[in-house]
Amino acid sequence: MDVTLNIKRFDPEAADPKPYWQEFTVPIEDNGTVLDALIKIREDNDGTFSLRCSCRSSICGSCAVRINGHAGLACKTQAATAIIDGKITVEPAGNMPVMKDLVVNFDGFWDKIMEVEPYLKPEGPEPEAEYIASNESMLHLSDVTSCIMCGSCVSDCTVLEVDPSFLGPAALAKAYRFTADPRDGNEKGVSKDRLEELTKPSGMWDCTRCMECVQACPKGVAPMDRIMAMRDQAMEAGFTNTNGARHTEAFSESVGHSGWLDELRLVPKSVGMTNVSALMGYAPIAIQALTHGKMPPIIHKKLPQSENIKKIFDKVEKPMERD
Amino acid sequence: MLEHDVLVIGAGLAGMRAAIAARAGGANTAIISKVHPVRSHSNAAQGGINAALTDRGDEWEDHAYDTVKGSDFLGDQDAIEVMCKAAGQALIDMEHFGVTFNRDDEGRLGTRAFGGQRRARTFFVGDFTGQALLHVMFEQLIKSGVRRYEEWFVSSLIIEEGRVCGVMALEIRTGQVYAIRAKTVIFCTGGFGRVFEPSTNALICTGDGTALAYNAGAELMDMEMIQYHPTTLAGSGVLISEAARGEGAHLLDKDGNRFMEKYAPNMMELASRDVVSRAEQTEINNGNGVDGCVLLDCRHLGETLIMEKLSQIREIGIDLVGHDMIKEPIPIRPGMHYAMGGIRTDVDGQTNLEGVYAAGECACVSVHGGNRLGANSLLDTIVFGERSGNHAAASKDSEYVNFNVDKAVRDEEKRLQELLDRPQNGDRIASVRLAMGESMNRNLAVYRNEEGMKATLSELKEIAKRYETVPVDNKGKLFNTDLIFALELGFMLDCATPIAMSALDRKDSRGAQARTDYPDRDDENWMKHLVIKKGEAGPELSYAPVSITQWTPEERKY
Amino acid sequence: MKYAFFPGCVSRGGCPELYPATKLICEKLGIELQEMPAASCTGAGVLQEKNELLGDTLNARTFAMAEALDLPILTICSTCQGVMSQANHRLKNLEYRAKVNAFLAEEGLEYNGNARPKHLLWVLVEDIGVDNIVELITRPLAGMRMAPFYGCYIVRPTDALEFEDNPERETALEKIIETIGATVVDFTGKTRCCGFPILTINERNSMTMVANHTSEAKDLGADAMITPCPLCHLNLDSFQPKAAAQAGRQIGLPILHMPQAIGLAMGLSPKEMGLQRHIVNTKPLITKIGAGV
Repeated sequence: MDVTLNIKRFDPEAADPKPYWQEFTVPIEDNGTVLDALIKIREDNDGTFSLRCSCRSSICGSCAVRINGHAGLACKTQAATAIIDGKITVEPAGNMPVMKDLVVNFDGFWDKIMEVEPYLKPEGPEPEAEYIASNESMLHLSDVTSCIMCGSCVSDCTVLEVDPSFLGPAALAKAYRFTADPRDGNEKGVSKDRLEELTKPSGMWDCTRCMECVQACPKGVAPMDRIMAMRDQAMEAGFTNTNGARHTEAFSESVGHSGWLDELRLVPKSVGMTNVSALMGYAPIAIQALTHGKMPPIIHKKLPQSENIKKIFDKVEKPMERD
Repeated sequence: MLEHDVLVIGAGLAGMRAAIAARAGGANTAIISKVHPVRSHSNAAQGGINAALTDRGDEWEDHAYDTVKGSDFLGDQDAIEVMCKAAGQALIDMEHFGVTFNRDDEGRLGTRAFGGQRRARTFFVGDFTGQALLHVMFEQLIKSGVRRYEEWFVSSLIIEEGRVCGVMALEIRTGQVYAIRAKTVIFCTGGFGRVFEPSTNALICTGDGTALAYNAGAELMDMEMIQYHPTTLAGSGVLISEAARGEGAHLLDKDGNRFMEKYAPNMMELASRDVVSRAEQTEINNGNGVDGCVLLDCRHLGETLIMEKLSQIREIGIDLVGHDMIKEPIPIRPGMHYAMGGIRTDVDGQTNLEGVYAAGECACVSVHGGNRLGANSLLDTIVFGERSGNHAAASKDSEYVNFNVDKAVRDEEKRLQELLDRPQNGDRIASVRLAMGESMNRNLAVYRNEEGMKATLSELKEIAKRYETVPVDNKGKLFNTDLIFALELGFMLDCATPIAMSALDRKDSRGAQARTDYPDRDDENWMKHLVIKKGEAGPELSYAPVSITQWTPEERKY
Repeated sequence: MKYAFFPGCVSRGGCPELYPATKLICEKLGIELQEMPAASCTGAGVLQEKNELLGDTLNARTFAMAEALDLPILTICSTCQGVMSQANHRLKNLEYRAKVNAFLAEEGLEYNGNARPKHLLWVLVEDIGVDNIVELITRPLAGMRMAPFYGCYIVRPTDALEFEDNPERETALEKIIETIGATVVDFTGKTRCCGFPILTINERNSMTMVANHTSEAKDLGADAMITPCPLCHLNLDSFQPKAAAQAGRQIGLPILHMPQAIGLAMGLSPKEMGLQRHIVNTKPLITKIGAGV
């Protein structure tokens, strides 16, 4: 079948280098992928068209691009299902500078990966044979080590879009790969140094939980879920002096106690009840809320049968603490 | 001035292992790769890595025998002994580096069965073991502090008076040409699958190092031994791992029969790859296939096992051919996969050119002989990568060979510019490559004969002429992938002829070479390696003995 | 049509205009709402950070209550919807569900996997059908340009939200805008994040997100933004002045809860819809609609 692709191109060596759109129509197999079409364009139509690709089977991570506005691997996307209004729109991955056509600059991406010290750091002595580890722990890690560093998550991350200093989903997921490895860190497998670093600004707490990375990831790594798990690890390891940790604790306490969220107290508890300057910062909005009738009730009533909810908290959390 | 004691070319498993070893040996080490290291094709290895662990009651000699037999007795037994002895430690090293290997109930490294092995000794991570190893190796490379030239393309090897001086390299991002001085180079450039069409190989597997070494005077060995993997997808040629068969999958003909019973009644689907590929091809040729394929049936393995151990190949089946192996069989057929042959080396990776080493798929030690067992390649890369790096590190105490760097750069720039300046009216790069690939796949595949191979040799001559005029569309400097493709095509053609010539010369069937005109293994005349070297008038063939230490060649039955 | 109503926490707290607006339009649409007063907070993704199993247990409890009433669940918050859908997705696994049910046993509840929590947005488009809603539109918002802002939790991840089987969910909000007679303003921010989850953690980034999306819509000519998520509403409306100040520009884009926009088009008054509660002034919008005050 013939497919039409509308591609956002860029030639850095042009007289007036600016991104421009170009349409191509090429023949591919009925079950061909978007990558098949892109390769056909450069082979048959225009050799100046540049993109990165190699394995054609979703393992090398080279061909991450934005297809119809969403990042993914071109080799994993069936062309037939990607056609909208007669064409497939292809753009370079987001949040990374475009070098040429669909080729983006990964330097920033790799810098962030390097920042999390991405290699095993066991603290104790090395055993002669293999470390003993449960298959469950290794299978859990394999979900994260499935990451092929393609950059799809980084492309669509809504925090990186407004704040390039954020570590980002790929680096944070990579960090989790180590914090969750029983061989990394102390004899209990707790990687305290890592967790402490990652709770700092622009680290794990800056994720806005928008799930773009979960949606974009072609290998099921679900970076956001790893970041959430790491937040829990950090809190368990005692790194609770962050607004994020306080926010989560306060939320949890509120629901456990009353069955629903006490919004009014959540904000001050998050920033710290004694953090006068931050609390003062919210004063104008608090006043506005009050005058507009948007202030949550000062007396936060418990839900009926909320003791059942408290019981569930106790039952579910107790075994967690033991582990 | 860019200069290093050891320059590793290629950053797959072998390359990175070599670089780490060289650096640990105190050498000023650098690694150069035309793609980012984690994009290397080691990624695509799926099934696992072999090792005989003595604390399990396994013996390296058993692994070695399986490997020797798998090689159809063409493998050099001294080299195989080295590899199998080193396997246990190599495996533990990788685990200590952090690889998330599968575990048994006691938390120790777990195994799966694999082709050609009488005992399960294949250690694995799901069905993406290569990717798991590659990424961990990259982590260790970062830690080691080796200088990395990422997305740099080596376009020439510089040799003065039979000794290596360095390389010419193109920084892809800027288009700038550099000379890099080196006391030693280690080629870890992988295979040349793109010489065939289709192939399981990535687009980057173009035999760059094999061609560069060959053109500089290195000996190539066993080039006729091309592995056709039994389970590849029709069309794209993408690999479906042997791990499926290792976990118990069956191969069926169009009537649902397990035809391997006829060809390998003991090992069945887990016979060595060449045996299985020939079986499939025979069935297909006899009309027992479905649309030129046979069927790989995993349904009886169950959803839980497939999701835990074969999830990646299940995704590939769904994404590329719309079949979910949990519910239906997948049509597969033999496809070009691996080069047993390559740059001839000793067990330390040394070639016949002073200062030039090779390791990994591009090398031929030979540990795989006429046929490689599954999960021995990952082992090969790590063991011989380490050995080459260790050995090359000694060069830190030797001197650079001088050469006129400025002139070398100017000459290379001129050569590349001439390519760019070609008129636009030649055949396109892709069509020339396709012609070569289809010819090779037609006549150098599972079954070969004299007529076919001669036809390919003559077609290759024609294709080489067409290559002389392929135009390069992109005249720019920045990220000029078109220029790279033109250079790669040249390398591929340099590999193609030695393959065809060796196959034509070898008048027996052994391992992956199956000739309908010489269907038997002829140990009397052909128990030897074919060596091919670039001469004045073209490729020159010679022979080298096979090293036999413990195992007398015998008839090979599975 | 009867539903087990799950209003969520914010519609009874920081966005109290949403709850009555919802009830009023449901009356007109013939949607009967059965309250579940004992149903807990979904966890909003925050509780799940700390303990996913706990969050899933609380949501399974809510699902079990609805099952006991033999009613489908109706939500009015993108975040509640998303969290419930994700929990339900995991609870498809029988082993996991049994584990969760063990915690519910003492209260006499058991979840059997039949809940299909649906946001009012989906109920309108799928269960009622826009053709039936059009009939009730007495004051079509003709000439009004509205920018849809979905809220992350109702558009990702698409597998938990069952988009493959229900592809209309991807453009449901645009459909509603058209149904009430207004014109859709398409903009890149429509499925992005409002920044609410990081409000107390990285306020700068949170405000940048608010400013970016509201500015983009405003500059494209939007008269209002419409959202099915009260958490998004909190950030986009209550914090819009702060965001505008940080961005150094005027924005002033009224943000409507989806039920409010529908209610206005059904002829209900701005006061009934609680528009006076909003932080960003809705008076110009009301005038433009011709709805008096």
